Amino acid sequence: MQDLLRHAIRDAESQGAHDAEVFASISSESEVFIENNDIKQAKSQQLGSMGIRVLVNASLGFYSTNILTRDSVRTAATMAVKMARASPKDRFNSLPRKRKVHFLRGIYDKAAESFGSSDAAAAAADMLEAAKSYDSRVTVDSGNFTAARGTQFLASSNGIELREKLSTFSWTIMGMAIQNGDVSSFDFQSGATHFAKKIAVQKTAAEFAEAVTSSLGPRKVDSFRGEMLLTPSAADELVEEVISHSINSDAVQRRSSRFAGKIGKKVSTELLTAEDDATNTEGLGASSFDREGVPHRRNIVIEKGVLKKFLYNTYTAKKQGVSTTGNSGGSTSSPPSVSTTNFIVSPGKSSFHSLISEMKRGIIISRFSGNVNPVNGDFSGVVKGGKLVEKGSVLYPVKDVMVAGNVFEALKNLNGVSKERKVIFDSILPYMRFGNVSFTVG
Amino acid sequence: MTKDNLLQSSSSSVARGPRGADGLIDNLLSLLSSSNGTSYCEARYHSRLMTEVNFINGDMQRVRVVENAGCGIRVLVEGCWGFSSTSNIEPGALRESLAEATSSARVLAQVKKNKVKGLADSRMARGEFRLKANGNLSEVDIEQKIKITKEAEQAARKHSKLIKTASATYRELLDYKAIVNSDGGEVEIHDSKPEFSVVAVAGKTSQTATAHEGVGITGGWNDLFASKSHLDYGVEAAKRAEKLFAARHAKGEKTTIILDPGMVGLLSHEAIGHTVEADFVLSGSIVKDRIGEKVGSELVTLVDSGNSDNAENAAGTIMVDDEAVIAERTVIIENGILRSFLHSRESAMIFGVPSTGNARAFQYNDEPLIRMRNTFFEKGSDTLDEMIKETSHGYLVKGARNGQADANGEFMFGAEEAFLIENGEIKELLRGASISGNAFEVLQSIDMVGNRFKYDIGTGYCGKYQPAKVDGGGPHLRCTAVIGGLQ
Repeated sequence: MQDLLRHAIRDAESQGAHDAEVFASISSESEVFIENNDIKQAKSQQLGSMGIRVLVNASLGFYSTNILTRDSVRTAATMAVKMARASPKDRFNSLPRKRKVHFLRGIYDKAAESFGSSDAAAAAADMLEAAKSYDSRVTVDSGNFTAARGTQFLASSNGIELREKLSTFSWTIMGMAIQNGDVSSFDFQSGATHFAKKIAVQKTAAEFAEAVTSSLGPRKVDSFRGEMLLTPSAADELVEEVISHSINSDAVQRRSSRFAGKIGKKVSTELLTAEDDATNTEGLGASSFDREGVPHRRNIVIEKGVLKKFLYNTYTAKKQGVSTTGNSGGSTSSPPSVSTTNFIVSPGKSSFHSLISEMKRGIIISRFSGNVNPVNGDFSGVVKGGKLVEKGSVLYPVKDVMVAGNVFEALKNLNGVSKERKVIFDSILPYMRFGNVSFTVG
Repeated sequence: MTKDNLLQSSSSSVARGPRGADGLIDNLLSLLSSSNGTSYCEARYHSRLMTEVNFINGDMQRVRVVENAGCGIRVLVEGCWGFSSTSNIEPGALRESLAEATSSARVLAQVKKNKVKGLADSRMARGEFRLKANGNLSEVDIEQKIKITKEAEQAARKHSKLIKTASATYRELLDYKAIVNSDGGEVEIHDSKPEFSVVAVAGKTSQTATAHEGVGITGGWNDLFASKSHLDYGVEAAKRAEKLFAARHAKGEKTTIILDPGMVGLLSHEAIGHTVEADFVLSGSIVKDRIGEKVGSELVTLVDSGNSDNAENAAGTIMVDDEAVIAERTVIIENGILRSFLHSRESAMIFGVPSTGNARAFQYNDEPLIRMRNTFFEKGSDTLDEMIKETSHGYLVKGARNGQADANGEFMFGAEEAFLIENGEIKELLRGASISGNAFEVLQSIDMVGNRFKYDIGTGYCGKYQPAKVDGGGPHLRCTAVIGGLQ
């Protein structure tokens, strides 16, 4: 494989490319699907693909192919150079220099090599059984269990030659509870780890079953203004999306980030500390180097409510006159973008229960179904699996409640962060409570 | 189906076949003959060439061509599905992949409770199908695709000083498929789906308003820009963003809402379409056991079709699905009565009907799932003017944005613009808001149906494990729903 990468770089150079980079991935995946309360299908795939990025006089061309033969790679390199010649020049286009990479431990499990489709089927069956036996009213609409392992390769005309093995196990479960014609809100839960022995499908199934059964028999409430307590999943849908957009240097440079020009300023109450950290091996976003071969590191973006830094790749860093933060992201099928790796919110001091017991009147939101505008922070949508809290007690599930507001305004009313956190693929998030939120009932 | 039935393409080749894949169909057929021990076997070769160009604020943000080709093999063994895929289409690699699919199906047989009973007899397609396209995309040079994208972005940004950010995207999917199965399906499909869109953001640092303008179709280069030029898309997005910037937010209330064809497309797709997907029905969707019952106003006829009915170039047009079944026009609701769900061959067998041709896979390594195609309301007899005139208080909402729906029929989707109507007249443009309600309550509430038809969600993709190119639309509809905004 590394030979093929070297060939690709040489082909591109011989066609006239000044710089060339190849990112490739070979992986093997085994996945089992759950549908309608039963195992549905098994799927296995052998994947291999590469993406060639070339620069001709700082003009970009990019071609990706999953046909990994010498001929196909030569065509890809030729086409990429042709595209670069048709593209406008952009003086910020460049490839990073070679840097020393410290390889992470804890992202590859040798056990993944012998984890086959029968193991994946057993894990999926366990998860389904755990959800169904938790409560007979639970209906599992769908779910899956996936085991994947593979190697990523990177080579460039600047002398970078890297490779790293990764293994991941991830699972999802979604559905509802049904009782006498009453259908609960849909819920979705997931889990993920790099290690086979950390697979916890039963725990995820129980969380899902608890969420759907406890949202049966919802009642209508009147419109009110009160507190909003987001579960980690809901925080992922609402808060994570907006913050990760706003700390992205690409959005900042495109003037679509509300955080532009706010480094050193307060963007939240001091309860919020957030970081991007690919070296945290709990999250699925962990790896040793980024999409351009720059070593990954921990970047604190918001510390006690104060905005500290933005995330950069080589292109956006050059534009800004700063150094890359190792946040070049993307797959073999796109040129590098800027992306978060693992988005992590530091744990607070309160327990989840004390966050509830301090609430006067509000709603716990476990899922949010609606629109979030990451540019201006506006959100509006329907509360799913919502529960009314009054005077510190959870009263009952609610229905037809719409919530609307602005994430940036909400961060100024963040008044509680739990010490309990959940890993949601590449996010690690606590429960987050906000004051002064508008709930509308139709 | 023979070659005589095929739609004509204006160009000789819409999507090319694979490099060095002569005799591919023969190889796939010979693979089927070696599928011992399976009760059903399907081999689907799919080669896709995707081209994408994106400009943001004058910079080329992205240019790429992605080639993704390979064969997905699906088998039914002892009532269990096994699926395996490979990008290597040499006979030996295909046989290995078949063996892998077969052995994973056997593994499942030990844990799966409800075995697949079989696959419904359905209208199998045979022959070569070319989706209609005026202007072969592969003959338009990459320079031209880069140029129009750059110019449209510039047209939006230069329109006014208020436009802070603009972006333009061109994307095309050129597909060639060869599908064979052990039930007689044997088909080659050439497809071409381009799309073009511009986003403009108006406003200063703290307050912004976003507007989208775009088109996504099944067709060729000339079809894509048949109604508007690339510059028009840029200017219109900018104009709308400017207007929205100056607008107030809508107030939250349950009231009379007139939906534009894009919003009707979202209602068809998100709020109702998903609840009638047979896999969703089997999991307990709200319409389970309601075939033959009245589920909406008698003014309502809802259709999902694999063809581009009523108007040309709908983006979800497939003609044949990925199980090689002819993609029929399926009447879901006829004059308010629920008539049909959307089926694959597996679900159709359970319901004792033929497949409706809704089994679709996004790429070669995706397995076919029940997905919508072009989902729409049939038109009625009211003009939009009459609908507004007969509304004492309400909103005309335009510009479909994201949408989501639940199994219990609750839905929520975004509209870019909301026009306040008072006493039969449009009073004021308000900023986009969410529209929500229960799908079937909203269907029941429909009391006026427009007389002009349009597809308008063709730039979107539906997500259900895999993306799928879909479309939707209809006439304007008047109904009752909740409009959400800041209190």
